[in-house]
Amino acid sequence: MRYLIIGASAAGLAAAETIRQWDPRGAVTVVSDEPHPPYSRPLLTYLLSGEVSLEKIWLKAADYFQEWGFEALLGEQVVQVAPEEREVRLRSGRACPYDRLLIASGARPRLPGIPGEDLEGVFTLRTLADWRRLDAALPEGAEVVVAGAGPVGLKAAEALARRGCRVALAELESQVLPRLVDTQAAAMLGNALLEWGIEVYCDTKPIGLAGYKGRVRALALADGRELPAQAVLFAIGVTPNTEFLADSGLAAAGGVPVDARLNTGLPEIYAAGDCVQGVNLLTGQPAYVPIWPAAVEQGKIAGANMAGANRRYPGLLPQNSISLRGFKIITGGLVQPEAEDVEIVSELDRRRGHYRRLAYREGRLVGLTLVGAVADAGIYFHLMSQQLPAAEPVTPGRLWG
Amino acid sequence: MKTVIVRPERCVGCLQCRLACAVEHSRTKNLAGAISEQVTPRPRLRIYPGRQHLAFPNKCRHCEPAPCQQVCIAGAISRTPRSTVDIDPAKCINCAMCAMACPFGVLTYAPLYLAPDKRAVALKCDQCPEREAVGRKPACVEACKVGALTYGEWQEAQEHKGWALAQAVFASLQAPPETEPAPPPGIRLWRRINS
Ligand SMILES: Cc1cc2nc3c(=O)[nH]c(=O)nc-3n(C[C@H](O)[C@H](O)[C@H](O)COP(=O)(O)OP(=O)(O)OC[C@H]3O[C@@H](n4cnc5c(N)ncnc54)[C@H](O)[C@@H]3O)c2cc1C
Ligand code: SF4
Ligand code: SF4
Repeated sequence: MRYLIIGASAAGLAAAETIRQWDPRGAVTVVSDEPHPPYSRPLLTYLLSGEVSLEKIWLKAADYFQEWGFEALLGEQVVQVAPEEREVRLRSGRACPYDRLLIASGARPRLPGIPGEDLEGVFTLRTLADWRRLDAALPEGAEVVVAGAGPVGLKAAEALARRGCRVALAELESQVLPRLVDTQAAAMLGNALLEWGIEVYCDTKPIGLAGYKGRVRALALADGRELPAQAVLFAIGVTPNTEFLADSGLAAAGGVPVDARLNTGLPEIYAAGDCVQGVNLLTGQPAYVPIWPAAVEQGKIAGANMAGANRRYPGLLPQNSISLRGFKIITGGLVQPEAEDVEIVSELDRRRGHYRRLAYREGRLVGLTLVGAVADAGIYFHLMSQQLPAAEPVTPGRLWG
Repeated sequence: MKTVIVRPERCVGCLQCRLACAVEHSRTKNLAGAISEQVTPRPRLRIYPGRQHLAFPNKCRHCEPAPCQQVCIAGAISRTPRSTVDIDPAKCINCAMCAMACPFGVLTYAPLYLAPDKRAVALKCDQCPEREAVGRKPACVEACKVGALTYGEWQEAQEHKGWALAQAVFASLQAPPETEPAPPPGIRLWRRINS
C-alpha cells in the first residue's frame, strides 16, 4: 500500500506514525512545501521573544524520517490532486502516485484586504520563514502594531514587548480574546497587558496601511486615528490551505468537508487538521477550530482509517491555553452558549486573581474558563468530552484550596 | 510497570506524602534544607477532600498513551526507558497545554531549581528516579503510614477508574471549604510549600 501525506506538521506526522503502527510495511511518503524538518508552529512566538532558541523548535530527532521509514519530500509544493489518476502533482513537475491520500495542509493567516498590505513591514506569523522575516526587520524599541487579540495575536504582542518593542494591540471587537472568554476574564487579561506595557485598542477597525517610500508607517483605523508603526503584524485568523484542490472537487469554502471517519467522500482520500471543516463535539454543528491537539487527534484517526481501521472522530472540543509571564487562562467548550437552557456559574477571587466560570446544560458541563489557577482544567475537559453527568448539584463552592 | 498505587479508601488526609514529595524534589533533599531553598520545592501529588472517603490522593498515572505527551507543543514530555512519563524542564515553556489534556488534573506550574533561570515549568510525579536507582520506594509511599499509597504493578484498566476519579475530583472542587483536609500539626513550613 502506498500512502501519501500532504503536510508534515501536527496532523500529517501523527497520521504517518499511526499508519506505521497499523501497517508496518506500507510505503509512507510525506510532502511539505516547507524546506526544513518538522517544527513546532506554536513555538514561533517563543522564538520571537527569545525564550526558546532555534535548536529547540524541531519536533523530531534528526534521523526521524529514516527511523520511521518514511520518505520525506521537503520543499516540494503540491499543485494539484488528480483523484482519477490517483496521483498528486508537484510544482517541480514530479507526479506522486498513491493508494491512500491524506490532506493535512493546514492553514495560513488571513489578511483583512485593506489598501497597503503589500508595503514593506507588513507581516503575518505562521511559518519559520515568517519568523525569519519578522525577526530581521525589528530594531530594538521598534513601534509595532499587532492587529487581532486572539491567542496568536496576544502571544505575539507579549513576545514583541519582551524584545523591547513598543507594542499596540488593535482588536476589532470590544474585548481581547473575543468569543473565547467572557468580559470578566478579558478584563483580567487586559490589566495584565497594561502592566506589561502593551497598549490595547478595542473596537478598532483597520481600514488601511499608510506608507512612506514603500514602507509601512501606520495602521489607519475607521475612526480616523492612525497607530504609528514600523511593523504591522496581522493575527486576525487563518484560512484553510486548499488551493491545490481547486479542480478536484474536494474543497469547500470553509475547508475540506469530511465525514465522521475523516473521509472526504472519495474512499481513498482523507483529511485532518487545520485544513478540515470541523464539527463541534458539544453541538454537533460545524465549527472551525484550528488548534494543535485537534490536529494531532484527527491525524491519528485519519491515519488509522487509511490503514484499514474504522475509527470515528467524535468532533472537536474547542480549547485554548494562554500562558504569559505566569498569567494563565484556559478556556474551552461553549463560551457564549446561545441556548437558554444553559446555566452559568462563576466565581471570582479578587485577592488571588483567580476566576472560574462553568457553563452547564442539562446537568452536563459544556463550557469552562479558568483564570489564574488552571491545574484542574483537564478534569473539566475530560468531563466535557465524555459528556459525563456533573454528578453534584451546582453550588458555587470554594475556589481552589 | 511498577508504579505508585492509590487506595483512596485508606487515605486519612494527613498530607505527609506531600511533604515527603516536596523534600524529595528539593535541591538539598532534606527537610531542614528544603525550607530555606531559594526556589521553594513543590509536592507533585495532591490530596482532595473526599465525599465518600476522608480524603483522596491524586497523582500522575504515567498513562500509556499519555494525553499530556500528545499535546505538548515543545516536545518536553517523553516516556523514559523505565516506562514513566517525564517532563524535561529544559524544554518546557510553561504553556499549560498539558493541563488541558491531563484527565487527572495532576500538573502544577511553579519555579523549579533545575529549570533554566529557575523559571516556572510544568511539574508532576516522576516516580522518584534517584530513589529507584538505589532500590528505594518513592518518597510518598515511604511516608504513607496507612497503606493508601503502595508501590507495585498495575492490575486494572485505568480508564474507568479515571472517569470515576474525574467525577470525584470535580465534586470535591465544588465542596464547601470546611471539608479541606487539615495540615499536619506542628509543620510551619506547610503553608509555604502548600500554597
Ligand atoms: C504562532 C502560533 C502559535 C500557536 N499556538 C498554538 C497553541 O498554543 N495551541 C494550539 O492548540 N494551537 C496553536 N497554534 C495553532 C497550531 O499551530 C495549528 O493548529 C497546527 O499547527 C495545525 O496543524 P496542521 O498539521 O493541521 O497544519 P499546519 O501546522 O499548518 O501544517 C501544514 C503543513 O502543510 C504544508 N502545506 C500546505 N499546503 C501545501 C502544499 N500545497 N504542498 C505541500 N505542503 C503544503 C504547510 O506549509 C505546512 O507545513 C498556533 C499557531 C501559530 C501560527
Ligand atoms: S500527567 Fe496526566 S496525562 Fe500525563 S501521564 Fe500523568 S496522569 Fe497521564
Ligand atoms: S507546560 Fe511544558 S510540559 Fe506542559 S505542554 Fe507546555 S511545554 Fe509541554
